[in-house]
Amino acid sequence: MRGIKVLERILATIPIMVGIAVIIFIFIRAVPGDPVDLMMGEGGYVSEEEMEAMRKAFNLDKPVHVQLYLFLTQTLRGDLGESFLKQVPVTDLILDTLPATIELALGALVFAVLVGVPVGVISAVKQNSLVDRVSMAGSFVGISFPHFWLGIIGILIFSVTLQWLPTNGRLDSGLSIEHITGLYVIDSLLLGDLELFWNSFHHLILPSATLGAAVAAMIARVMRSSMLEILRQDYVMLARAKGLSEYRVIVRHALRNALIPTVTVVGLQTGVLLGGNMVVETVFGWPGVGRMVVQSIYARDYPVVQGAVMLYAFTFVIANLIVDILYTYLNPKIEL
Amino acid sequence: MTDSSLGTANEHQIVNPYLLELRLLTRNALHLWGQLRRHPTALLGLIVIILYVVSAIAAPFIAPYDPTEQNLMARNKPPFWAEGGSLDHILGTDQLGRDLLSRIIYGGRVSILVGLLATGFSVLVGALLGSLAGYFRGRLDDIVSRFADLLMAFPFLIFAIGVMSMLGPGFSNLIFALSFKGWVEFFRLVRGEMLVEKTKEYVEAARAVGRSDLAIIFSEIAPNIFHTVLVLATLRVGHMIVLEASLSFLGLGIPPEIPAWGSMVAGGRVQLLVAYWISTFPGLALALLVLSINLLGEGLRDILDPRLKLQ
Amino acid sequence: MLEIKGLRTVFPTSKGEVVAAKDVDLTMEPGQIIGLVGESGCGKSVTMLSILRLVPHPGRIVSGQVLFFGEDLVKKSPLEMRRIRGKEIAMIFQDPMTTLNPVFKVGEQIRESLRIHGIMSEQAGSWPWGARYRLQAERDKVIQLMEEVGIPSPQARYHEYPHQFSGGMQQRALIAIALACEPRLLLADEPTTALDVTIQAQILDLLRRINETHGTGIILVTHDLGVAAEFCEEIVVMYAGQIVERGPTDEVIQRPLHPYTRGLLRSIPRITREKRKLEPIPGVVPDLANLKYNCAFYDRCDAALPKCEHDELELRDVGGGRLVRCVLY
Repeated sequence: MRGIKVLERILATIPIMVGIAVIIFIFIRAVPGDPVDLMMGEGGYVSEEEMEAMRKAFNLDKPVHVQLYLFLTQTLRGDLGESFLKQVPVTDLILDTLPATIELALGALVFAVLVGVPVGVISAVKQNSLVDRVSMAGSFVGISFPHFWLGIIGILIFSVTLQWLPTNGRLDSGLSIEHITGLYVIDSLLLGDLELFWNSFHHLILPSATLGAAVAAMIARVMRSSMLEILRQDYVMLARAKGLSEYRVIVRHALRNALIPTVTVVGLQTGVLLGGNMVVETVFGWPGVGRMVVQSIYARDYPVVQGAVMLYAFTFVIANLIVDILYTYLNPKIEL
Repeated sequence: MTDSSLGTANEHQIVNPYLLELRLLTRNALHLWGQLRRHPTALLGLIVIILYVVSAIAAPFIAPYDPTEQNLMARNKPPFWAEGGSLDHILGTDQLGRDLLSRIIYGGRVSILVGLLATGFSVLVGALLGSLAGYFRGRLDDIVSRFADLLMAFPFLIFAIGVMSMLGPGFSNLIFALSFKGWVEFFRLVRGEMLVEKTKEYVEAARAVGRSDLAIIFSEIAPNIFHTVLVLATLRVGHMIVLEASLSFLGLGIPPEIPAWGSMVAGGRVQLLVAYWISTFPGLALALLVLSINLLGEGLRDILDPRLKLQ
Repeated sequence: MLEIKGLRTVFPTSKGEVVAAKDVDLTMEPGQIIGLVGESGCGKSVTMLSILRLVPHPGRIVSGQVLFFGEDLVKKSPLEMRRIRGKEIAMIFQDPMTTLNPVFKVGEQIRESLRIHGIMSEQAGSWPWGARYRLQAERDKVIQLMEEVGIPSPQARYHEYPHQFSGGMQQRALIAIALACEPRLLLADEPTTALDVTIQAQILDLLRRINETHGTGIILVTHDLGVAAEFCEEIVVMYAGQIVERGPTDEVIQRPLHPYTRGLLRSIPRITREKRKLEPIPGVVPDLANLKYNCAFYDRCDAALPKCEHDELELRDVGGGRLVRCVLY
């Protein structure tokens, strides 16, 4: 039964994905004037032939519904057009930079969970203590501070002043690594190269923490309030009456229940992770999709921007889908 | 129908309804102020916000320099307490010798204005469509809800980056990009509240005495959902300010010639090793403002939303 | 088996300290069934939780002894206490719907009790080969327990979640959890209050059978004197944190001594042909943070005398195994 429901839920995302593509299509066309004029507008250095070629590339010489059809079918085939600047398919560019972005996002998520969950639990267990007050004030600040400033403060403290952590890139310059998964931290372990592992891990810490801080703060707050609720429940009392240790009562019986609302929040926060990704990659010179997009915007390389925006939106939809499915496994009462 | 709900409906016929609502509004505002005064963190937030707003309005009078005036003789001057700094430039100067304090004061104008305008448009559009969709349902509701769902599929910053990359940097483009996505949240909130409220007895009563649908929406129901919208709007002003700053940081928001906190942080990033203050202080100004707005917003939620107050 | 001496549990509140259990004395022999009766808020549940040392924060036991086979539970370390909870003394709670953890399978929740106290370890032998056998042994035992408490098709229901159980079945599962380690004392805190009347009788039947077959002593906490009268050998009546009357069931029912017990008896509806007027006890349970009189029942009492206001009160032995806290005796 659950399998079928999961499948239904997966199928339900298809119209949303199509809708996303349509919205992006409309946006490109709805901009006043010829999109190619607009894109090329500022520089007078584009020749008429080049403009014509570009119109062709965008299928602008055909009627709108044909344009939409072509756009959708191309997207479905994974064809996101060709970069103006580099003359290579956008899909290839994205695939090249994606592992770096995934590594950063996973790092941020791990950081957020590793920090947010324990802080939330401890705050709830020691409600109104000094620890609780300090961590709740900290999480409030964490939610309020923008990524780019947090990143710069991090660089100032940990790189400039303390000189503990590097500020730029994924590895020290001069080092390189064989790509297996594309995630350097994992690749270096697979290669058994501890030096590379430490190097890439060092590079990952600050960007991950910067990107994950807001999510960690959010998790801590939700975790705390749901733990407070759950510690009052009868089944927690039963767990104690069974003779379980307080640790087991909290970690096994209470935490598992408190995770249910927390997972929902993490799902909603993936939007923050994705949006922050561009900013954090820019701050730390992290060679991922986000930084590529920002550079492409400066270079007016629109197909890349378009393709990446679509990728981010799809990722967001899929992340929410995963959260929904995860939710059903955590909460036996819900069947999607 | 309870007596009291009939009572209010009748009063509207006797007393001038606008006068009555004005009286109610002032009474509610006074009541809110009374509670806010006793909420220390919200009050602190409010005071800081007021300071920011005043300094933004009075920027030409309190800023010691023209924020765009370059002085290539005094580049990267540190703040006055650091070695080499002087009281001429209290927070120092940037890489072009512009006075940092003046730029921060002027930068506040952009942030506050964008925050208020983008949230204002979002509330206006969202609340209007939400009220109509929630009250009348039907085709309008279907279409707008579907569109809202699609917009929800984009992370906010990604959407704004996408739109701004098409439109190019600029103040009105920015307001447009932020509002175009911002209304969705208010639409969902108001629509949901409307669905609940319209089944309540006071609405039945108003209908029974023959008030029109629009009158019911705007003078009966609206005051009852005003406070939830106010709470969300307050928190969203902070959100919008962060988005504006992030876009400006990426060079996609406010054009570089206008001082804005986000672009100031971006400009100082290269100088981080030699002149940390160029990036740090505008960011600090931004962080403090957003923190204060969030404090006020959370405080308002404590006060106005009894459902959450129970915790 | 169990001897409570001068137990006093307090809760600090903004209005002052509330004495939720005030100098409670209680003795109980192995295999006995005692009924602890009183209105809600009279300190019955707090007394039970005090025995297990599970009084929720910020409440605490300030004085007294809880002797269990001669050992004072109040002085036990947290670790020693944990070995007693669930193993020697188990508890059943009021609302089965909220007492089972919603995210774990019912069978696993029963198994946890066995696991935590190592019930099946000896049979299974040592790690690593033992682990698998132990798991199987524990599962078999759980299914046997589920059968014993009357859960139909236990093989299948082992893998179900609490929300798939009815209220009565949930309470049976909770009894299975309590029974898992064959405790010598079972604290049943209003075990039937949240259930339908027909289910109530089944659950009480089940508890009685457990008492007979395993010799488990039971303290049944209830607000229903009727239930207690039918089920228990001895009745203890509590009011405002104090025991006001104690004695063999038949005696207490037929010849109640304390005015409060008399009031309780008069307020029970009975199924008879003749119409009998129900007489509720006037007034409400007094505010425990603010007791005005020495006798907490004074302002609701129909037999109050002027001396009640200030005379010292103690639980007096009036012969025939009966004790009462009232100036009349």
